[in-house]
Amino acid sequence: MATVPSFIPESWEMYDMIQAFLQAPSYHLFVEVLLILWIFKLLFFSKQYAPESVLTEKEKEELIAEWQPEPLTPDVPDDHPVLQTMEKNMIHGKPGKYVIIGDKTCINMATLNFLGMAGNPVVEAEAISTLKKYGVGSCGPRGFYGTMDVHLHLEEKLAKFMNSEEAILYSYGFATIASAIPAYSKRGDVIFCDDGVCFSIQKGLVASRSKIKWFKHNDMDDLERLLKEQSQEDKKNPKKAKVTRRFMVVEGLYLNTGDICPLPKLIELKWKYKVRLFMEESFSFGVLGDTGKGVTEHFNVSGDEIDLIAASLENAIGSSGGFCCGKKYVIDHQRLSGLGYCFSASLPPMLATAAIQSLKLIEEDPNMLVNLRENCEKVHEKLSQIEGMMVVGEPIAPIKHLRLADLDMERNLDINTLQKIADHARENGVALTLARFLESEEHKLPAPSIRVSVNSQLTDEEINKTADLISQACQAVLPKEA
Amino acid sequence: MNIGTATSDDNPTHSYLGSRGIWITYVLIVLIAHFMLLSVPFLTVAMAWSLTNVIHCVITYFMLHVTKGTPWGTPEQGKARMLTQWEQIDCGQQFTPTKKFLTIVPIVIFCLASFYTKYDSLHFIVNLAALGLSVIPKLPQLHGVRIFNINKW
Repeated sequence: MATVPSFIPESWEMYDMIQAFLQAPSYHLFVEVLLILWIFKLLFFSKQYAPESVLTEKEKEELIAEWQPEPLTPDVPDDHPVLQTMEKNMIHGKPGKYVIIGDKTCINMATLNFLGMAGNPVVEAEAISTLKKYGVGSCGPRGFYGTMDVHLHLEEKLAKFMNSEEAILYSYGFATIASAIPAYSKRGDVIFCDDGVCFSIQKGLVASRSKIKWFKHNDMDDLERLLKEQSQEDKKNPKKAKVTRRFMVVEGLYLNTGDICPLPKLIELKWKYKVRLFMEESFSFGVLGDTGKGVTEHFNVSGDEIDLIAASLENAIGSSGGFCCGKKYVIDHQRLSGLGYCFSASLPPMLATAAIQSLKLIEEDPNMLVNLRENCEKVHEKLSQIEGMMVVGEPIAPIKHLRLADLDMERNLDINTLQKIADHARENGVALTLARFLESEEHKLPAPSIRVSVNSQLTDEEINKTADLISQACQAVLPKEA
Repeated sequence: MNIGTATSDDNPTHSYLGSRGIWITYVLIVLIAHFMLLSVPFLTVAMAWSLTNVIHCVITYFMLHVTKGTPWGTPEQGKARMLTQWEQIDCGQQFTPTKKFLTIVPIVIFCLASFYTKYDSLHFIVNLAALGLSVIPKLPQLHGVRIFNINKW
């Protein structure tokens, strides 16, 4: 007989087991009989029933009686400040270089119409002719009967204008970057973000569910520190690092501070630490650079160095919507993953042709960009001379933030003071607006300021007049130093 | 299950354990796991059966009575977040065929394990404890009850 290795246990015969069953202890058999009875009960005597409601009829009626419906609209007194502001800020006609508020004509320093494209008769005529051909709406999202030839033309035009392979058109400027970020960055990925970015980027970061690492505004040392930290972490856990995407998100020209990102340094860091770079150019597109291409042209950097450029068409271009541009394989990803692109009706065709026309005008006359920069510098110089106020941002930025030199502890007091200055200026013919924020939602709330935007069409006289009036308003409102 | 179609239930846990082929699959998985244990050379027949019973009870305990909400990712928006898988089956109805089946399987395995362990008292204690873990939470009286607040949140 072959020997069985010792680690193999001996097998049992069925006979032994039946013997064991016959000699089984009574407690064991008792349990088994109970269990078998339970099976019988389950199979033959248990009726299916739905669980009863936790509440009795009486309790339900009590709850219904207790319930007090809230009013559908809140009870607002007639002299509520918001209502008053709405009455006060009624605008007639087009908000171009001049704007009619109430019955007063003011120089418009409030809307972000840097090149005067909103209200430009050539652009308007183009939009009207498209309106006559296509009607108002596009009647659907891009992937669902909403694509018209003009959308493709605009995308082509934008790609050409930005010297990139492809551009994708969104129908809302805010949603552009807010959709683009979560299209690429997901849960578990890391985003390095400047802490002075505007609200639409912040919403994109939230939607991405990624890990956000904030670096100090335009502080490249701080950014490098975070990148080093990340690379050390990655070395510790290379398996995790392999599936983690890393992004840098910056604004080209910051809406909230009016300064420009240090792009060459960012690109250096991007290649050094292997991070993808997203740049939001809503306020630099059509503003910076000799032909209006934005920050890349301003620093004379190739657009290919940046993985994704997003910009709104609602500022310098004076239309509506926004676009992203970059490499074809990067941009095409958004056609199925950009939520704002997939699930929102496409840009009304007339706004698309208006944007095309605006781009054409910029190409035909790049001089308007030179004018704009000259005007920006002039306004900056004039505003910095005002006592008690401080101008934040680059001189060539078309957005100036006029802050109080001495900030009060109480934010609302500052806002009131600035509002008084704005009101005073408007009485005398300059329309100003405060930079407004959803204060509880902002990542890092900027100091209160008057947001002055510059138009390329302003003449020297108008600039002088504006600066004088703002200066007068400040003097009238700010307390005199003893 | 038809997840994502217009007429679907937003929570597949309500029905997937009763859908076609699931019961036979379940039995096959238990059998295959048992044969794999039997083929391990170190294990006696008794050990293989007790292990089958204990592993089965522990796994079903975690799958049905510890896991809450909808792990299969559905658009039901957390309505079932506070309910265990067992409490969601058949929308919380008691003594449905699925629930009867899921209760009977561990009992049958216990009886078989008792037989194949030759009614050994140590095996009996371990197997009975495991059976209790699997079967007691299935009682209709314990629907929604969290003893000592275990697994309450």
